[in-house]
Amino acid sequence: MDEARRLRPDWHPGTIPENVVSDPSAYLGTSYSFIRFRSEEPVGLRIGRAASLCDLTILDVGPRGRVVIGDYALVNGAMIICDSEVTIGDYTLIGWDVVLMDTYRVPFDVALRRRALEHAALERPRRLAADVPSHPIRIARNVWIGFEACVLPGVRIGEGAVVAARSVVTEDVPPGAVVAGNPARVVRYQAPA
Amino acid sequence: MHDATLPANVRLGPNSLITGDYLTRDRAFRLFRSRLDPGLVIGAGCTMDGVMFNVGPEARIEIGDHCYFQEATLISDLEIRIGCRVVIGWHATVIDADFHPMAAAPRMADAVACSPLGRGAARQPFERRPVVIEDDVWIGPNATILKGVRVGARARVEPGAVVVTDVPPDSRVLGNPARILAES
Repeated sequence: MDEARRLRPDWHPGTIPENVVSDPSAYLGTSYSFIRFRSEEPVGLRIGRAASLCDLTILDVGPRGRVVIGDYALVNGAMIICDSEVTIGDYTLIGWDVVLMDTYRVPFDVALRRRALEHAALERPRRLAADVPSHPIRIARNVWIGFEACVLPGVRIGEGAVVAARSVVTEDVPPGAVVAGNPARVVRYQAPA
Repeated sequence: MHDATLPANVRLGPNSLITGDYLTRDRAFRLFRSRLDPGLVIGAGCTMDGVMFNVGPEARIEIGDHCYFQEATLISDLEIRIGCRVVIGWHATVIDADFHPMAAAPRMADAVACSPLGRGAARQPFERRPVVIEDDVWIGPNATILKGVRVGARARVEPGAVVVTDVPPDSRVLGNPARILAES
């Protein structure tokens, strides 16, 4: 194990993958966040200045996945499922148990899904590696996503927007909008910073 | 909590139990930071199984008698008052504050204050309003009760509901955002 890529302290005995580029001022809670990180991109994860990736954040990133976390962003225990690109802007706050997914990972077609599941049984480690489309998630700067919200593939969230707790975001959120509910609807607009 | 000592400012009534399994037993007081005395009051005959008491320095939670909570998350930065014979289901959340400002500009300053380079910087003010849950309320699994809400006596909050407005007594609410279904 590469000692230089260990976190200290860390309750999990793992290391930070080589293609994670992290600003020295950023905070990473635990190497456990990377147990499902298998990006083969030159930079699979970029973490900005003074950004925080707190404990219980999981980065489930596929071979072609790239995650960017902006300066001063706070990711307080989210699940990021990424096969193409998930971008989190500067000053953006993300609450606990939030799900950001740029792919559904399995085909919607029943026959294709059956084949993917049967194939997964032969994989070691077990992994759903179906060839399904992924659609980047782009979250602009100064966005706030409340706890347990879910952002679906292809969604773009504009600067300064607020996603209320437990919302399910199925379509783009305009800058300054406050959205809430399942599916999330615009409640009002706020002045920009 | 088997064989564990409670924080000094927790009042636990007779025949009340705080329990947890191997996943949840450590979380009950991990984020309990209340400096009030008492900071948490639990009445008589209550069962608090896997409950998280996340209580800020200036906050207090009061719970009546014969309540039964299972793996509920109670997050207070001000005040949560819960009556008697209240049932709260698995993974439900009761939270009385926003913890970040709503307006874009102060929220950006708050992000810096929360960051590793923000040590010592003052946090920005955010909205906090007490939550009141009256007697005999039933709150289903995965439900969420947000700041400022009063849930009236005997009301039923259905599973997964996100409650942002007051719930009248004897009513039934459902959905995200929660709507009143019917007077039961």
